[in-house]
Parts: sequence; structure tokens; C-alpha cells
Amino acid sequence: MKRLPVPDPGVPDGRSPTRYLIWTARAQWRAVLAGALLDVGWTACQALMLAAIGKAVDEGVAERDASALAAWSAVVLALGGGVAATGVLRHRTLVLGWLSAAYRTVQIVTRQAVRLGGTLPRRTAAGEVVSVGVTDVEHIGDALEILGRAVGATTAIGLVTGLMWAASPRLGLVVLIGVPVILAAAGPLLRPLREREQRHRELVGELNSRAADLVAGLRVLRGIGGEALFADRYREESQRVRRAGVAAATAASRLRGAEVLLPGLLVALVTWAGARAAASGAISVGDLVACYGYAVFLITPLKTVGEAAGTLTRGHVAAGRVVRLLRLEPEPPDTGTVVPDGPAELVDAASGLVVRPGRVTAIAASDPRDAQAIADRLGRHADGEVAYGGVPLRDVAGVRERIVVALNEDRLFSGTLRDALTPGFRPVDDAALHAALRTACAEDVAAATGLDARVAEAGREFSGGQLQRLRLARALAADPEVLVLVEPTSAVDAHTEARIADRLGAARAGRTTVVCTTSPLMLDRADHVAFVVNGAVVAEGRHRDLLLSEPRYAAAVTRGEDSP
Amino acid sequence: MSNEILPVATPTQVRAHARHLLLRRHPRALLGALALHALAAAAGLVAPRLLGDLVEGVRRGDVEIDAVALAITGFLIAQGVLVRYAYDASARVGERILAELREEFVERVLALPLSRVERAGTGDLVSRTSRDVDALSETVRRAVPDILVSSVMIVLTLGALVLTGPLVALPCLVGVPLLWGAMRWYLRRAAPGYLREMAAWGALTGGLAETVHGARTVEALGLAERRLRRCDRDIARSYRAERYTLRLRTVIFPVVDIAFALPIVATLLIGGLLHIHGMASLAQVTAATLYVHQVIGPVDLVLTRLDELQLGGAALARLLGVGNVPRDRSPGDARPAGERLAARDVHYAYRDGRDVLHGVDLDLRPGERLAVVGPSGAGKSTLGRLLAGVDEPRVGTVTVGEGAGAVRLVDLPLDELRGRVALVTQDHHVFHGTVRDNLLLARPATDEEAEAALRAVDWDGPGLDTVVGSGGEPLSPAQAQQLALARLILADPHTLVLDEATSLLDPRAARRLERSLAAVLDGRAVVAIAHRLHTAHDADRVAVVENGRVIELGTHDELIAAGGSYAALWSSWHGDKQPSP
Repeated sequence: MKRLPVPDPGVPDGRSPTRYLIWTARAQWRAVLAGALLDVGWTACQALMLAAIGKAVDEGVAERDASALAAWSAVVLALGGGVAATGVLRHRTLVLGWLSAAYRTVQIVTRQAVRLGGTLPRRTAAGEVVSVGVTDVEHIGDALEILGRAVGATTAIGLVTGLMWAASPRLGLVVLIGVPVILAAAGPLLRPLREREQRHRELVGELNSRAADLVAGLRVLRGIGGEALFADRYREESQRVRRAGVAAATAASRLRGAEVLLPGLLVALVTWAGARAAASGAISVGDLVACYGYAVFLITPLKTVGEAAGTLTRGHVAAGRVVRLLRLEPEPPDTGTVVPDGPAELVDAASGLVVRPGRVTAIAASDPRDAQAIADRLGRHADGEVAYGGVPLRDVAGVRERIVVALNEDRLFSGTLRDALTPGFRPVDDAALHAALRTACAEDVAAATGLDARVAEAGREFSGGQLQRLRLARALAADPEVLVLVEPTSAVDAHTEARIADRLGAARAGRTTVVCTTSPLMLDRADHVAFVVNGAVVAEGRHRDLLLSEPRYAAAVTRGEDSP
Repeated sequence: MSNEILPVATPTQVRAHARHLLLRRHPRALLGALALHALAAAAGLVAPRLLGDLVEGVRRGDVEIDAVALAITGFLIAQGVLVRYAYDASARVGERILAELREEFVERVLALPLSRVERAGTGDLVSRTSRDVDALSETVRRAVPDILVSSVMIVLTLGALVLTGPLVALPCLVGVPLLWGAMRWYLRRAAPGYLREMAAWGALTGGLAETVHGARTVEALGLAERRLRRCDRDIARSYRAERYTLRLRTVIFPVVDIAFALPIVATLLIGGLLHIHGMASLAQVTAATLYVHQVIGPVDLVLTRLDELQLGGAALARLLGVGNVPRDRSPGDARPAGERLAARDVHYAYRDGRDVLHGVDLDLRPGERLAVVGPSGAGKSTLGRLLAGVDEPRVGTVTVGEGAGAVRLVDLPLDELRGRVALVTQDHHVFHGTVRDNLLLARPATDEEAEAALRAVDWDGPGLDTVVGSGGEPLSPAQAQQLALARLILADPHTLVLDEATSLLDPRAARRLERSLAAVLDGRAVVAIAHRLHTAHDADRVAVVENGRVIELGTHDELIAAGGSYAALWSSWHGDKQPSP
């Protein structure tokens, strides 16, 4: 049995959607080929089963020949066994092919997402990439699956046509002309069906997000009311989904009707022509029965061929989204090679900020966006003229490991709480983790659940304040040479903020810490405060000195007390 | 953080509900659809019969080939047309049932006690609203009609087979025991297998979504390797689940195929022998064999849809289960006289035996501003929710009204309650919809009233008709909070509970918002749970909550003078700086 996931999904061909699909098909060409061959074998067994039934009627029943009847019945049974054997092998091959194409795409998208890092949200909407994971992966799997089946179906149609031709060239001709006519006639029914199904799916998606919206906002609704109104609105949308569902079903029912009617007409035509041929003695009665069976049998491969065009188109669109993602390049690139001794002095030319090693430096900006921009440059999440120990940051090797910039937008990942709190650079033992939790005043959160408790996606079970403290603990556990924290205590109460401010300096002793904040509690405990206006440092010193010497600073950090 | 999931309905409840939906609510539509399907199936059965006659006739040479072929054509056309309308009719019933199910589910969710949802975690409810609703939809749209239609076809085909000749009909039964046994084996294992498969696939795509949403975090904290490992692990788990169900199918598929081949061979062989001994005509044998061949399709469809039916049943059980949560309020007819809010000896526990509030007494005078401060986890937010009537105290009462006119908050219907007391939290969720939709959650109002409310909070966001919330125009956190405040102006309660309503905002936004807030607070009694101490400084009274008790209560100046916990915090917040006037 195949082993999945493959350890290395390989380097995809991202030049075009078609090339991506071909690359995926080539990566598993054995499965695609085997699927096609087995599909042919499976359909052939079914077709031959009908032929054998015809022979049994002909030579056994009609001729009242018991031994011929027994012989042909044995053949029918053997072919039934053939259907069973090829059927299950075909199914397995197709499923495994589908899975390996889908898994491979998930692996490739994940690898590209982590390679892009912070570039990803800047260059593309998260929803687009997530839809790659959810629907496009399935469409790519479907496309590869139909590839095998379409080959099988086409072969089956050819085989049946050939069998009928052998019985009577005229019947063969009827099928040869009839099949393309049926495909052409059913074609126009497919498009409205697909469009209406698409519309229905979109509305279902909207309705689902409306319901998810309800769950997410249940707390708000409970505080302010609006349950009845919400229920009304949901009902309205649900009815719209119902109507779209009916519209799609109507289109589907037309196709269903056509799927009975069109091959049915072919069956009738074959029967009529066959009966006349039989009456004139050109074919046997058994041939007539078999030809009827053949015509009925054609329905399934005809459906598969009809389906294939749409499935391949959807696969192509899905591959297009994957390819667009693959074309993105991380920026700024991480190509540095110099290894300075850390922690060293960090200088941002644009703002004039100098961060001394081994101290807690606070950046108080009158506009928080300025502080964020400086933090991004310091951590080289954005390009800038920044020097670390005199070396331009772009030449420094392993910047990520040396300088960690922790934001409030950072996410907690699902898994155990221990995993969620452990950064990736080096292993962290429980003692270090507990120390970080203590500094971040998050011991109560961890104690309530234990480090082995499961954290839900994005830590959504935690309150805003709890999440912020857990994120801070994770950043502290990374223990980098330079830690840049942006508004790390904006969602915690004054008591806790004071405690965090007290503990931070000791916890980071010997390493460099930068805190972007306007909270007087935090600023008061910093070794050094830089006050930033319009992107540049305009005053520096201790918090208490700046309060007295710089009125703009005082206004920026003590805002609350002046308001009514 | 516990995973005390919401209840799941019992199989009896599910069966009763399904019966009720199908037979009680839509009997006529259902019957109509079934009748159409039966007619379509009947029309489909004529062709093999006619073919049998044709074969027989051709042999004897006394048949009107053209007439019979025309008849076959006629019945096939009839079948095509009937199939089209039959599917349409059954889809209409199905869609209506589906809409009813999801609407009833949402109504049940809206009535859920909040504390119960939070104990279960929102994840459980989210997966019910999306995954279970989808699974049920699949079942109702595909499995139920297919099973109904196929059953009709099977019954009719078997009927036709018996009519063709009871003797030639008997051999088709040889496959039944094999099918029965195999399906019993399979169905016992299938549902849990497919549920595991779906859950594993959900975890896989969920993990990818996390990596994408957290791409910056992954880069900043060096989590790339771990995310890749997680991805591969999720794939491995999904693959294991897929392989299990594939193994089940590897067993069941060939058995079913053989069970399908046996009746054909048996009919052919036994029917042929009967014919040889003159006990059945050639037409009978031919038609019987074709009928048996024809019945395989519907039987196969029923069998493949049975596991989907099981999954739909499981989904329905989870959707109906939400209704099994007991209601937390029983609204009475009493209406309060007066606006005074009072808490008496209030205890509350999220989990049995672990009170987070230990006997809190609090009186809020009409029009008064009370600030509640204290460390995280002290019980401030819990107190806020009890004061707003969101939860019921375990022991003690929270009432609104003066003296004999006091009524417990949990005895008021929700819409009555919200006209009196409202709660705003830091959870500034923006609902998907227009700005107007978001405002009118509070109460129905004209555009003029809505505009006025927006003006009062200094609104600088998009207009009433702009779609906001997930997928709509993005709002800043401050705007989201302004929207919540404007909603409050519309709701116009006499008492407000603000739970850290301005936290999570950057200082500039917070300052703007405080101006908006002033407009909202005007003339109302306010309980402000805050971590910015200036809020406390500006309040009429301050309550300090620690360890589930009110340990200090008084004006700012009184508490500073008392030199307790509050005074210590205040001096730490201020440092040496003199407070401004």
C-alpha cells in the first residue's frame, strides 16, 4: 500500500494551471494509468456480461440447449466476478490517486505559505488561500480522478460501438452517430445546472457564515438583544437558499430527464433497427437482446464523458489559484550571512532610534502606526536602514532567530497549550515555560487548564486579555537576543499590567527588550523611553523626566486623565 | 475550557422528528412526488417487457415491429418527462424540509443560555451550524430522494417481475442473504469511519487555514518547521481514516457485485431450464433477466446511500440536541416599577462547587456611575453579566425596580429586559450585513433615528447601506465599538453595564471613543468595568472586586483616603505626577 504523505512533495511546475495539473498527474502517473486501465477492464467486463447474457438467451434458452445455457451462465458468472475484481481495484486506485493529488497540493500550499510568512497577508487575501485548502484541493483531486475515468469511459463507448458493429454495421452506425448527438444535446443542459449549483453553493456559504456570525456574536446579542430580528433575517436568507436550491434542482431534474430520454431514444432506435434486422434474419434474436443491453449500458460512460469537461474546467480554475500563490516571493528576502556578536546595539536610521543592548527600551509614539513601522524595520519584517552591531540588518544571518517582533495580531495555534506557547527556534522546557508565564502574569490561565489542555483554533476560548498574556508568554519563551513587543498589555487590567511591567525587566536581564506602548505603567518601568512624533525620535530619557520636560509626551501618555 | 459538549438527541427523538417532518408536515407534497416517481418507474418498466414481446414476436415472425418500437419510444419519452417532474417535485419537498430544519436549529441556538454555550466552547456550536447542517443537507438533497425513488423502482420492478411469471421471479432472491449479511457488517462500521474521515479532513483544512492566517506569526517565531510537521501529521491522520473506510469498501464492493451477478445467472439458468421444460416462455425468461439486471441499479443506489443516511441521522441528532438544553429563564408577567438595580448576596459558579462570586451586594442608584476595578479573574465580568441579566445567579437575586415593584432580571422577557438594562463588552463583534442591520438589532427604527444615533457617537464610518462584518467593508475596532454604542442609544436602556468596552483599542481611538461614550452615558445609570483607572477617577463611586468579593466601595476620594488596594494602584499608575484637575 502506498505511503502518504510523501516525505517531499517535490517542486511543482507553477508556470500555468495546465502545467500544474500535468505536473501533478506526472507525479502519480502510475496511479492515473492504472485507474484508466482498470476502468476499461471494469466497463469491458460489464459490457461482455451483457454479450454473454445475449449468447445464453440465444444459444441456450432459445435453442433449448441446456449445456450451452449452463456454459454461458458460467461465463456470465465469471464476468460478474471480473466486474467485482476490477471494480474494487479501480475504486481503490481512483481513491488513492485522488488522495495523493489532494494531499500533495495541501503540502505544496502549506510549504509556500510558511515560506512566504508575513508576505502572504500583504500580497493576498487569506480567504483566497484558505479556499485553496478547502475547495480547490478537492477540485484538483476530482480532475485527476476524472482523467482516469474519462479514458475508461471513452474506451468503453468505443468497445460497445465495435461490438454492435460486429453484430450489425448498421447498428454500429446508429450508435456511432447517436453518441455525439446525445453529448451535444445534453451539453446545453450542463451549463445552467453548473451555474445554478454554483449560485446555490455561494448562498449556502453565505448562510453558513451568517450562522457562524451568530455563534461568534451570541455574546453581543445577549447584551443588547436582537435575537428575534436575527432569526427573521436568517429565515429570509434560508428561504433564499431554498429557492436557489429548488432552481438548481430544477436544472438537475432537466438533466436527469434528458439522461433518461436521450439514451432512451437511442435505445429505442437500436431496438427498432435491431428488430427489423432480426426479422430479416441479418442478426440473431440474441444479438437483438445484447444490442438493447449495450445501448442501455452506454448511459454510464456517456455521463462520465459529459461530466469530464466540467470537472477538468473546475480543476483548471483551482490549479490557477494554486499557481498564483506559487508565483509569490517572500519580501524582504532573508539572505544575510554575517554573524555579529549579540546582543548588540540596534540603530534605526529612519527614526534615529538607538536601542542599547541589555536594557528595556520603550517607544512611545503619538501615532501608534509609527511605533509599528519602527518595530517592523527593527525585526526586518519591512526593509529599512537598520544596523545591528554596526552590520546592516539585511546582511545579518538568522535575523528571525535573533530579533523577535511580537504583535497583537499574532495567532495562537491549536494543539496543547504547551505547544501553543512554545516558539520554534529551540526546545523550551516546562520550567522556562512557567517562568515566561509568570512574567506575563498568565500563570492563572495555564493553571486553570494545565499545559496539556487542548487549545482551540486561534485560542478562541480565551478572553482578549488572556490571549494577550499567553502571546506575551510565548514571545518571552522564545528568549531572543532582541525582543520587540508592540502594545503587549493593551487588553489587561491595571493591576496585571503593573505586575507585568515589574517582572519584565528582570526576566529579560542581559538581553535587549523594546516595548512599543503608551501606558504610563509600562513606561515608568522602562530603562529608557524614546518619544516618537511623525516617525522620528524627538525626545529621550526616563518616563518621569520626560513627563516634566516634554509636554507633548505628557499629553500622549496620560490622555485619560484630561478627558471628561 | 472544558469540553462539556452540548447534548445530542436520542435516536428515538431523531426518528420521531424525521417521521413528523415527512408524514405530518408535508404529506401531500411527499405523496405527489412519490406518485410521479412511481409513474416514471412504471413507464421505465414497460420497455423491457415490450422488448421481450418483440424478441418473441420476431422469432415467430408475427409482430408489428414498427408499432412496438413506437410504443417503446413513447414509454421512454414518458419516462424522461416523468423523471424530470418527479425529481423537481421531490427536490421542492426536500428543500422545504431542509429550510425548516436549519431555521428551527438557529431558533434553538438563539434561545440557548449563554453560559451553557461558553462551557461547551463555541467550537462545538460552530461545527454544528456548518458541518452538521451541510451533512444533513447532503442527506436530504441526495440520500433521501435517491432512497425513496429507488425503493419505488425496486418495488415496481419486482412487481413486474412477479407479473412476468412467479416462477421466473423466484431465482432473483439468491443474492438477498449475501447482501443482507454484508450490509449489516458494513453499516455497523461505516458511520463512525466516515465521521472520523470527515473530522480528519476538517482538521487538515483547519490546520492549513491556521497556517495561512498566522503566516506572519509562523515567520516571526520560527514555527515553519512545526507547521510543516503538523501538516504532514494531519495528512497522515486523514490518510489513516480514509484507508479505514477504503478497507470497508474493499470488502463490501466485491461482495455486493457478486450478490448482484448471482440473481442474473440464477434467473437465466433456472428460467432457461424452465423454458426448456416448457414451463416458461422465451419472452418471460428474457424479460425476467432484463428486469433483474435493471433492478441492480436502484438496489445499488439504496445501498450506497444508506451510509449517507446514517451520517445525516447523526447530524440531525446533533442539531436537534441543541433543543435539549433546558432554558435558563422563565419570563413572567410582572413588570418593574422604578429603575433601581440591586444585587443581593449573589453567588455564581461556572462549575459546580467553584464559586467565582461569594455573596456580592450592590445597589446602583438611578443615574449613578459606578466603576468596578480589580485584577483579572476577580469576577468583575461575571458580576457584570449578572447585573445585566445575562446569567442567573446560583444563589441570591439581581432585581430592577423600587421596593415591592422590584422584579428579578431573569423573570423578564428578553426584549423587556433589554429596554431596561444592556451589556456592552470588549467583544465588539460586527455582524455581517449593512450598518443599518447592525443598528436595528436593538429595535426597529427609522433611518432618521439610526442616523441620529450614529451622529451621537461621532460616527465616521461608512453609510447605513454599506455592508460590513466578515467579507464586507472592514471597520476599525474603534468604529466597531462606536457601532455598538449607537445601538445602545437606539435600545435606550436606563441602565448600562460596560465591560472593558474601550479596551483593545489604541490610545487615540480610545480617546475618540470616550467622547462618543459620553453621549451614550448621558442620563443613564452605568456600571463600568474598567482597567483604565481614569474611568474610576471620573465615576461617582468605585467598587474594588477581588477574589469574588467587593472589598472596597466608595468615591474615588474616599478610597484614596482609606489607603487600601485602590489607593496603592492609583499611586502606581500616577507615579510622581500630580493628577490634573
